[in-house]
Amino acid sequence: MLIFDELKKNDPQLRLVAMVLAGGLGILLAGLWWVQIVSAQEYKSHQETQAYRSVRIPAVRGKILDREGRVLAENRPRYNLSLYLDDLRKPFDTAYGQLRKQALDAQQHAIAAQEKKLGRSLTKVERKQFALTTAQIQQLRAQSRLSVANDLAAQIGRQLGQPVPLDAKNFERAYQTRLAMPYPILKNLNEVQIARFEEKFTNGFGADLELQAARVYPSGATAAHLLGYLRSDDSSAEGEESYFSYRLPDYRGVVGIEGGFDAKLRGMAGAESVLVNNLGYRQSENIWSQPEPGHNVVLTIDLNLQRAAENSLVLHRGAEAKAAIVVMDVRSGDVLAMVSSPTFDPNDFAQGISQDKWDRLQQLSAEKNRATYENYAPGSIFKTVIALAALENGLDPSEVFHVHANPENPAKGIIYVGKRSIKDTAPPGDYDFRKAFIHSSNSYFITNGLRAGVENIIRIGKKFHLGERTGLFTNQETRGNFPSLPRVISRAWRDGDTANLCIGQGELAVTPVQMAVMVSAIANGGKVLWPRIVDRIEPQDPASGEMASRFPAGVVRDELGVHPRSLKILRDAMRDDVSSSEGTGTAAAVEGMQVCGKTGTAQVQDASNKLTGYNFWFASFAPYEKPRYAIVVMVESTDLHGSGGSVCAPIAHDVYEAILKQENARAGKVLARN
Amino acid sequence: MVNPSINEREPKLDRLQLVALAVLMCIGTLFVYSATMANASSAMLPWYDQTWVRQIIWYAMGIGAGVALCLVDYHTLARWSFVAYGASVFFLIIVLIPHIGTSHGWGAQRWIDLGFFQFQPSEFAKLAFILAAANYLSRPVDELRQRLVFWKGIGLMLLPFMLILKEPDLGSALVLLPTGLVMMLVAGTPKRYLLRLVGVVGLLAALFLADILFAPPRWQVPMQAYQRQRLLVYFGADFAAASATPAEKAQARRLQFDKSYQVTQAMISVGSGGLMGKGWRKGDQTALGFLPPGAAHNDFIFSVIAEEEGFVGSLVVLTLYAVILFTGLRIAGRARDRLGKLVAVGVVTLLFSHVFVNIGMNIRIVPVTGIPLPLLSYGGSSVLCSLIALGLMQNVHIHRRGY
Repeated sequence: MLIFDELKKNDPQLRLVAMVLAGGLGILLAGLWWVQIVSAQEYKSHQETQAYRSVRIPAVRGKILDREGRVLAENRPRYNLSLYLDDLRKPFDTAYGQLRKQALDAQQHAIAAQEKKLGRSLTKVERKQFALTTAQIQQLRAQSRLSVANDLAAQIGRQLGQPVPLDAKNFERAYQTRLAMPYPILKNLNEVQIARFEEKFTNGFGADLELQAARVYPSGATAAHLLGYLRSDDSSAEGEESYFSYRLPDYRGVVGIEGGFDAKLRGMAGAESVLVNNLGYRQSENIWSQPEPGHNVVLTIDLNLQRAAENSLVLHRGAEAKAAIVVMDVRSGDVLAMVSSPTFDPNDFAQGISQDKWDRLQQLSAEKNRATYENYAPGSIFKTVIALAALENGLDPSEVFHVHANPENPAKGIIYVGKRSIKDTAPPGDYDFRKAFIHSSNSYFITNGLRAGVENIIRIGKKFHLGERTGLFTNQETRGNFPSLPRVISRAWRDGDTANLCIGQGELAVTPVQMAVMVSAIANGGKVLWPRIVDRIEPQDPASGEMASRFPAGVVRDELGVHPRSLKILRDAMRDDVSSSEGTGTAAAVEGMQVCGKTGTAQVQDASNKLTGYNFWFASFAPYEKPRYAIVVMVESTDLHGSGGSVCAPIAHDVYEAILKQENARAGKVLARN
Repeated sequence: MVNPSINEREPKLDRLQLVALAVLMCIGTLFVYSATMANASSAMLPWYDQTWVRQIIWYAMGIGAGVALCLVDYHTLARWSFVAYGASVFFLIIVLIPHIGTSHGWGAQRWIDLGFFQFQPSEFAKLAFILAAANYLSRPVDELRQRLVFWKGIGLMLLPFMLILKEPDLGSALVLLPTGLVMMLVAGTPKRYLLRLVGVVGLLAALFLADILFAPPRWQVPMQAYQRQRLLVYFGADFAAASATPAEKAQARRLQFDKSYQVTQAMISVGSGGLMGKGWRKGDQTALGFLPPGAAHNDFIFSVIAEEEGFVGSLVVLTLYAVILFTGLRIAGRARDRLGKLVAVGVVTLLFSHVFVNIGMNIRIVPVTGIPLPLLSYGGSSVLCSLIALGLMQNVHIHRRGY
């Protein structure tokens, strides 16, 4: 190179200088290479962490619809009024400038006063004592921010015609930790407030409306247990980005459909990156992944029928009755209505429930879905199972059985099993199957149950899948309780236990939904179905092209495998229990639809075997000729009067009437499929 | 080698150096623009008040001054060098007088406010020192062997050094040392003097650093707080003394974070530029204000270039400086006499010191000092002096050997 050729000829000193220069530039080059090439990634990520804030944007939650597309749960826009701190930088600075000037003036005064006192000017060191400390400056800044925010809040308050409170501590904390995010000062504005705000305030003055989706259950407490409720939860779901600087409010379903189908309803949260400057103020924002809206869940429930069932329950038993109703399509297993009482308003949960309300709900254990999540002794409605077991094992329905009179109460019967005596509500006398069924004779069914053998009872019960979940949805279902074959064969099992089983007591617990499946199987000719409560999951936007995923109806879980004749005898007896004047379920009879049913009254005992109350039951289907509907009504009662026939049958009656009314109104269109 | 016919066809000026110079000035304009236009309030100014326009004006004035200097033979200039030296010492003294010198709130009294221009005497003192030292050291080599001459030379250097140190402006003062040293070396000062000098300076520096870093507070040399902090930042040492209470330590740590902020941000700028950079005017560090807006366009202009143009940009800048420095050395080699050679070497060393210290502080090779990057950093005094210095070098080239 020309330059170096020249240097070679020159004196050694210049060459030394050239070498030093080359060395120095080499060091710089190596340093730059290290920083810009080798460590570039490290600095890039450092730069990102200091300049970017990521924000989780929740997706629009899917709706929950009834079988006709009526809305059970949806989202409504909610407007919050928020301060945009980045737009307030200038006012903050201006206010700070004024405060600082005041402070400096005060400081000058103090110095002057001190000088006057001492009669000389202060030295540099002495003046320093009067200087503002960092803490004081920070305090002035915080004070100026607060006063700007307060002024703005007051201004907004005047416009809206209502005070807009601003919590100083909260505001300062938001400034320190969520500077890049809007600061909400007034939540959930109503239309009047929105109009007043929009009228006066325009962009860029530091406050604006912020849209937020709020979960709304338009029918309030209707089907609340089924729908479940939401809880505030902005955490990342599985498969989602897990780190965010900030998260916008989001919800998570806890129980019911909201809980069981949460992943489908919730959709996929999106993410936004906010670029902030060195002071942390928002500079710009960029959505780098759009949230994917959640799916709609379409239920098999009929909203009108659901309402009718709830209303009849309230009418007969009051709003705080502990009860459940299940209405099922006997051929498809579709749950048309599912009532659990007492109920609650899921809107309360979405908006934050008050302590009083919460306490009351706890006291009533109202959040429990009694149709699926509580164990009940079935009482006499279990005699349907005993009847099938006996009929299948050689019982002649016309055979006459004599019920003995109870010596203590000659008007009623009694039966002795081993050393035990079991009272009968039926009067003493001669009984064939039909008469024993409609009088719900304990003596008859215990005798014939024992004769059929407990293994056969268990076998048929297993066919009904008692003691197993019906698989409705995950978070709210109990298995119930049903003894296993090995259990009943074991020595610990006595005839007394079998006798208990025969009257639906003892080691036996069921849920109303299980009973609805059972009655459906009797009604539909022996098919034990998987009940179905979700018809399909479909995209929120019908134009998205995505196919709805359907849950098939009428999936057979098991065949009873009993003789059709046995089922017919049982169905006839159930019809007569309602239609015959001697029957226990006459209150359920409806004009225009022949209802078949069985009543039940199960005793509830406390730990010391003291009778504390009853579970009243009515398990039914209709119409007799071509069964379509199964209705199971269960009422818990601490009142020792009443029976399944007097408490539950009238409620079932109302529901059947509602069904009839709906079918007539729709000119022959039936609720359950033909 | 001396062949008049060849020399006559050679250009009067060192064109290669001038091209590098021109490119650097273009880069300077572009990135002063980029660094200041990101700031909304300065982008609002009328065009004639904008920093980059002013920078162009300074360039023009500097070129004017450089050309003017080329018109006068450097021998004539050298004869007046002691006047310049005396004047610069005078200004270095009056800048220390309160109400004449101003500190711009930085705690160091470095500027004289002339209204349109913040005159920084230390920049001109560097030039005057080079001229004066070249003139002084260009005496016959034999004389340089005399002790008295050597010590006078040292004195020549120490006077402005101490005055600049008093401002205080440690960085500007320190660049005088290598400049003087190299000039002495090239002038032919006996090695043993220089070795001893280097030894003594090195020992003092080592003692000084040891004192700053390790000595208990009572034993430390008096120094401006920010200077000590900058050194502590550079060496990554703890601000708090070992005996400090937790509260004091926490405060010291916060202070340390604040003080190392500039360096940290400069390094993030440079590093996040990567190989290709983010593109002109696309540097987030500047736009978002992480690089302090007051420093981005002057002392930290290199961070802006490195962030926006990446390693490639850094390489271009380094290459341009290398061209200027080595053509400068070539000019020194071809100089007609020792005076010319010394002037050229002095200018080269001064420029190199600035480049090394300024770029070095961006990547934490060197502690932070307020030293501008010649020709790129915004600033009247710096631009003027750099261009005048290069004018001097061209002057030496014009009047080179055999021409």
